[in-house]
Amino acid sequence: MAIWQEDEQSPAIIMSGRTSPEGKRPKTKEPHEQPVSLVPPLVAAVASMFLPGLGQIMARQVQRGLLLMAAIGSIAGLLAWRVYDLAHREAGAAAMLRKALQREPFFVLLMLTGVVILWLWIAWDAYRQAQPDRRGGVGVFVLVGVLFFTLGWQISQIDLYKVVTELPDAWPPFSRVLWPWEAAFTRATEVVSAEAEILAPCDDLPPPAPPEEIAGQPYLVADPTCGDMTTRDENLGEVPGTKLVLVGRGFAPNTETTIWWTDPGGNKFRVRKEGEYITLQTDEQGAFQIEITMPYRLLPPSAEGRQFHRVEARQVSEVGNLIPSEALRLTLGRMVETIFMGMMATAFGIVLAIPISFLAARNLMSGSWFTMAIYYFTRTILNIVRSIEPMIWALISVMVAGLGPFAGIIALTVHSVAALGKLYSEAIESIDPGPIEAIHATGATRLQTIMYAVMPQMISPFVSFSIYRWDINVRMSTVIGLVGGGGIGFLLIQYIRLLDYRSAGIAVWFIAITVATLDYVSADIRRRFV
Amino acid sequence: MLEVKNLTKIYDDGTVALRDVSFDVADGDFLIIIGLSGSGKSTLLRCINRLIEPTEGQVVWDGEDVTTADPPQLRHIRRQIGMIFQQFNLVKRSTVLTNVLAGRLGYVNPWASLLYRFSAEDLEMAAQALERMGIADQAHKRADELSGGQQQRVGIARALMQQPRMILADEPVASLDPVLAHSILGYLEQLNQEEAITILCSLHYLDLVQRYSTRVIGLRDGQIVYRGSQEDIRQMTDAEFKEIYGAEAERVGAGLEGTLGG
Repeated sequence: MAIWQEDEQSPAIIMSGRTSPEGKRPKTKEPHEQPVSLVPPLVAAVASMFLPGLGQIMARQVQRGLLLMAAIGSIAGLLAWRVYDLAHREAGAAAMLRKALQREPFFVLLMLTGVVILWLWIAWDAYRQAQPDRRGGVGVFVLVGVLFFTLGWQISQIDLYKVVTELPDAWPPFSRVLWPWEAAFTRATEVVSAEAEILAPCDDLPPPAPPEEIAGQPYLVADPTCGDMTTRDENLGEVPGTKLVLVGRGFAPNTETTIWWTDPGGNKFRVRKEGEYITLQTDEQGAFQIEITMPYRLLPPSAEGRQFHRVEARQVSEVGNLIPSEALRLTLGRMVETIFMGMMATAFGIVLAIPISFLAARNLMSGSWFTMAIYYFTRTILNIVRSIEPMIWALISVMVAGLGPFAGIIALTVHSVAALGKLYSEAIESIDPGPIEAIHATGATRLQTIMYAVMPQMISPFVSFSIYRWDINVRMSTVIGLVGGGGIGFLLIQYIRLLDYRSAGIAVWFIAITVATLDYVSADIRRRFV
Repeated sequence: MLEVKNLTKIYDDGTVALRDVSFDVADGDFLIIIGLSGSGKSTLLRCINRLIEPTEGQVVWDGEDVTTADPPQLRHIRRQIGMIFQQFNLVKRSTVLTNVLAGRLGYVNPWASLLYRFSAEDLEMAAQALERMGIADQAHKRADELSGGQQQRVGIARALMQQPRMILADEPVASLDPVLAHSILGYLEQLNQEEAITILCSLHYLDLVQRYSTRVIGLRDGQIVYRGSQEDIRQMTDAEFKEIYGAEAERVGAGLEGTLGG
């Protein structure tokens, strides 16, 4: 291995001699000669009117001409596509243009005017370029830029107005994500309830008797205890059921109470009043009174015999200490899973990347055409693998390993090997050959030289890159679950799909806390090593 | 006694770095090699311990042919020849002590050294070498925390650990200021005079050449164009100067006699 290079130091530091050896003399720079135009200015202008850019080419400004030609061509093409997109149901260009103008007048007019101005400007530019003392003129390119940005605004459907108007609707779920902690802890609940039997419809036999009141126990009585359910007539109009007066006693005082209905079929649901669920407060003695309408009949008409429904007043009160909610417990578990996914993927990545990095280091592989071929092959594979995002690798690995963290680990490992392989090989390429020759010169063996001159130079970048990769992998593993790769992303996407924004918010907060902590820790470790 | 016979080095790209170079160095000489950058000084020094393989010619040291030595023999020869460099070539992330101990690698048990274990004698020797170079208090710092002059002293301490009989110094002071240059060459002179270590040193500064050398050779385009003693340098003629440094070179006044501050 040629580990020594001729130094480039100037000989001028010879204190008593000054030299200016061959080849070090500064070359006099030739003045940049501008090619003379082939045609007079007016011809160039007309040529560019005919075909934008042609005049510039005739004036021997080929690059400028081709650039302008490509610019106006692509702008006009993109505009035509947008017009078609806006009015693809219309037949004929004129009808399409009219429809497009109708739908987005500002955009279409602006672009049409812009293209016409650009056309004229290119012609004028050709006129100027064909003159002997031509000047640069970047204005035309500014216009090209403006037109491209206008197109971009429309193509990417940017709508700032919508952001402002939709904000109030987006605020409630957003605020839950921002501050989800109400859902992080719960208390054990205790249910206090009492039931009364209702017969529907009334018949000749006596209706159910009210339950016996026992002191200290909750008690509910309905009056009457039989009646008709709410139904619909032939015209689907509502026929309200019998009104019942419910009186409750012996409940917890000043507590929210809900009313539930259970029909003979076992269907249990909350009773509504004017469309809203009934929620009432007990008084200081734990008593209440409320009038309800018997709800819709859910049973099929074929159900016959005496049908006993039950109405229930229920209080749910929280008792005991705060305990972590299920969302919090699941989030913590998945977060730990995520961190370990990142760790395992990094470990596998390092182990596989080290041998590969030697094959991808130019200075080690420049020996012969065969090793160079291996070098190029390895580099190409690494570049291809690295250019495919871990999310896509996860989609593929889910097919192999099934849903779960293992699929995520496979995806992250594949990407880590490629990324680390490249970084490691660059670290190998950039080692200083000086210490190697110095250790060689002491009579050290090859192995000793590696241990004393190569390793110390390698460890720091290796450790630094590896920790950085761990950092990236944990960050990536938070989202890799979105496609089924396990970890907290898997939980997060479920919460979002269930519109459970509070629980999703807890997951988002934990991701943010973990990533920020890791970012700090990895930066700190790297700082100590470098 | 070092004999260099008809040494030629042609690099793979066709560059002729050395062309038929022959000279002898007696034990205890302080030989200085002068010449422009690219004249082949560094190649010549590296051909002597075969850090660079010569294309043709022979290097004989104490009757032993260096050019044909097999790897174990070569390591045996190399460990007796210390080498110091313009860029110091320390392992920057290792401690000063580790850098100095690396000078023992040719002597110690290779397997023990892979675990960075050295005998008590070696550690004692390293402490003495650092003491001698006046940097004992820096032993546990990282090499790149030291100043340039201190780093070069670490380089010399590393060479001393080899208990060398000859030191090759490749422009050891080109990266240092004039005061430090004198200090570093002073150490080499001390080693040369007190321990009779042969010194081969390439230099740029002519005033340093006449101050420290016992003998001088001048290289130009890979060929020896000047041989002389310390005294000869003092009386170097313009013609000889231009022979070494090229026709375009200019001598600056009476600079030959002058010394740099320090």
